[in-house]
Amino acid sequence: MFIINCPFCGKREQSEFKAGGEAHIVRPKQPTELSDDQWAEYLFMRKNIKGIQFERWNHAHGCRKWFNMVRDTSNDEIKAVYKMGEKPPTK
Amino acid sequence: MLNYNQALPEDTLIQDLQMKEVRPIMKLIIRGKKRNFISAIGKSLNILLPTEANTSAQSDKLAALWLSPDEWMIYSNEPVDENTNNYETEELLNNNISKLNLGAITDVTDQFVMINLKGNKIYELFQSGSPFNFNDFQNKKGTVVQTILNKIDVIMHNRDKNTVNLFVRRSFSQHLFSWMNDAASRL
Repeated sequence: MFIINCPFCGKREQSEFKAGGEAHIVRPKQPTELSDDQWAEYLFMRKNIKGIQFERWNHAHGCRKWFNMVRDTSNDEIKAVYKMGEKPPTK
Repeated sequence: MLNYNQALPEDTLIQDLQMKEVRPIMKLIIRGKKRNFISAIGKSLNILLPTEANTSAQSDKLAALWLSPDEWMIYSNEPVDENTNNYETEELLNNNISKLNLGAITDVTDQFVMINLKGNKIYELFQSGSPFNFNDFQNKKGTVVQTILNKIDVIMHNRDKNTVNLFVRRSFSQHLFSWMNDAASRL
């Protein structure tokens, strides 16, 4: 259990949120030109790093807004929280 | 017309904590992102929608709760007395907002049940079933929070000192109410 600082509502408990997987995956411009393998790569393959990871989260039981989070998956430390469409922090 | 039916059993008073369903209360969810949406609402209802998170605004007849950056809930301060499904406010907003494509108006009168809680132990009750930190909430009149209470989604509005209006989905209301009664008896 940890506290997440929702960019809209402020600090809330993790149980109010839903994790939405890896962030910043770009949809291919021409899906029809991709091979099945390339499409599967885009659709299913996720990094699941041990360490600093960029993730999407949804404040499901609060404002119901999506946002991005930089989290260290080894110790659940949240490095940054930023809104959808904003540039990820570099360091 | 569900709102005219009683959703919960009798009002209860446990350890000077009073819980009662208030009905029929008109409730609307309004959504809009456009810049003139807020001013159009303001003109129609004479109420300025709160843009700061977790706050509310109030007029003589209505209260507006911030739910999300583009979503608000509006409810009537007093129970509506007419036996109809047409609410003046909704019609007004339908004409001034929906039809002009400024935003969306949804009537959630029948969807939510409003429970009014009074007493100095309400926050002890909430703390026993919610992960939310009520320290700031209880000291600031007009604060709004959407959180979980006993694993059920609720909207809480700090109406006055030790008075909270709680909105819960109708299908969850009986369960939540019986849990609150049970939890209150153990405070």
